[in-house]
Amino acid sequence: MNRRPLLAGLAVVAAAAIALTGCASDPGSGTDTPSKAASGPDYGLVQSGQITVCSDIPYKPFEYEETTGSGQYTGFDVDLLTAIAKKLDLKVQFQVTNFDTLQSGAALLAGQCDMGASAMTITDERKKNIDFSDPYYDSLQSLLVKADSGIKSINDLSGKNVGVQQGTTGENYAKEHAKGANLVQYSDDGVLWPALQGGQIDAILQDQPVNVEHEKADKSYKIVETYNTDESYGFAFAKGQKTELREAINKELKALKDDGEYKTIYDKYFTAN
Amino acid sequence: MALRKRTRTRVYHYTIYVVIIALIVWAVLATDWPTVATQFANPEVAMKMLPGIITVGLKNTLLFTIESFTGGLILAIILALMKLSSIPPFRWAATIWIEFFRGIPALMTIFGFALMLPIALKVKIPGGPVGAATLALIVVSSAYMAETIRAGIQAVPKGQTEASRSLGMSSMKTMFFIVLPQGFRIIIPPLTNEFVLLLKDTSLFFIAGATPLTYELTTYARNGLSTYANATPMVMAALLYLVVTIPLTRLTAWLERRMARER
Repeated sequence: MNRRPLLAGLAVVAAAAIALTGCASDPGSGTDTPSKAASGPDYGLVQSGQITVCSDIPYKPFEYEETTGSGQYTGFDVDLLTAIAKKLDLKVQFQVTNFDTLQSGAALLAGQCDMGASAMTITDERKKNIDFSDPYYDSLQSLLVKADSGIKSINDLSGKNVGVQQGTTGENYAKEHAKGANLVQYSDDGVLWPALQGGQIDAILQDQPVNVEHEKADKSYKIVETYNTDESYGFAFAKGQKTELREAINKELKALKDDGEYKTIYDKYFTAN
Repeated sequence: MALRKRTRTRVYHYTIYVVIIALIVWAVLATDWPTVATQFANPEVAMKMLPGIITVGLKNTLLFTIESFTGGLILAIILALMKLSSIPPFRWAATIWIEFFRGIPALMTIFGFALMLPIALKVKIPGGPVGAATLALIVVSSAYMAETIRAGIQAVPKGQTEASRSLGMSSMKTMFFIVLPQGFRIIIPPLTNEFVLLLKDTSLFFIAGATPLTYELTTYARNGLSTYANATPMVMAALLYLVVTIPLTRLTAWLERRMARER
């Protein structure tokens, strides 16, 4: 999946273009168009009646499958976006996308989806290619170690192998603050966790909620420190394109925060023990 | 009015040319060139990737490929000899090894060596994630090359072995000084091909994890993709792969032509 993201992107663009021209030349056969799309405002959706969302799934607890292979996604991003879409009278369709192609804006520009929701931190670098929604989640970084490892803080990491996820804020934080540590880069949490279990690495520095999941799953590992990096997550949109949709989502996000539904979803994933 | 056969063929050919040209023109016109330029061919980003993408990325890719190929070749010769052995358990062991590692994706073998072995057996493969990944590719390539080498050995005329044995050489000496050298000459093109495949398979190392000094070309480019939020590094990496692979595949084609002539 990771080997030829560009080609895949180009292929999708080409296919979409062909599909579009095909539709344009055949205006008579529009009987199966959903009636809802005609009544509500048109947000320039890839597929009418639904928001197509690119996301690097799985990334627990933000987006994952309850049962592998079921195609039924759940998680904080999924629940929040579903609640927002419900208010807009739209459906949500998640689509698995590599995080790098998503955060570089390539997947969005290629028209693979209307927006990205993938626990993505709002950064100036990303803003060059992406329009972000209002922040919907404030993230902390954390350090997960084996409970009996003797590592108490980031200052004990000198000479240790510290696992980080490629291209994340956790990696950047570790580069700056974990002095003398040997940073080992992995593609995703699905590999980081067995690497820690197998002793390839001594610690994982990544987003707190993901480490919380591991702490819950196996009591012999614990989070020894959390770090506030002043970062928030935002939904991603193709630069200068989906303005109407972005504004609608911002409005409903605020409404959810005001009426308490946001807190219900938040507590479901981040405060339960 | 029926067209003559030659006219018909010509019309047919011209139609194909017109369609191809139309497709190219359409692609050129439909492409969003300004976006392509900033997203895929951004000189600013390209400058930031240099020289690291070559001195670290390409260097490591070549290093890992050569290591995997050399290790795989040695292992493959042993496997091929086992496969041709008159002792059944040797044959069985070689067959199981070859079928198993040819039958699963290289990505999973790398995952297994880097992450499953340490958990299951509590062993640590020297060299960290990259050491484990290289070992995995040695194993994968040995399985592929063993079959090639076996074919090469069997392609050497029997008379060669008979002549050498009747001159008083032992069967071991016959194999290593008479049969193998001739067999290898025959299989140089497929082995070059295997080298190219291995080179591309090093891009799977990302699953094992990597430290800054061991980034291979794809990992290096993906880091650029993350850091600069721009796809130019991936395009650069693709071009660098081609710089290595095209001369090699051309070399293979040339060798094949030359050998065809000699026969």
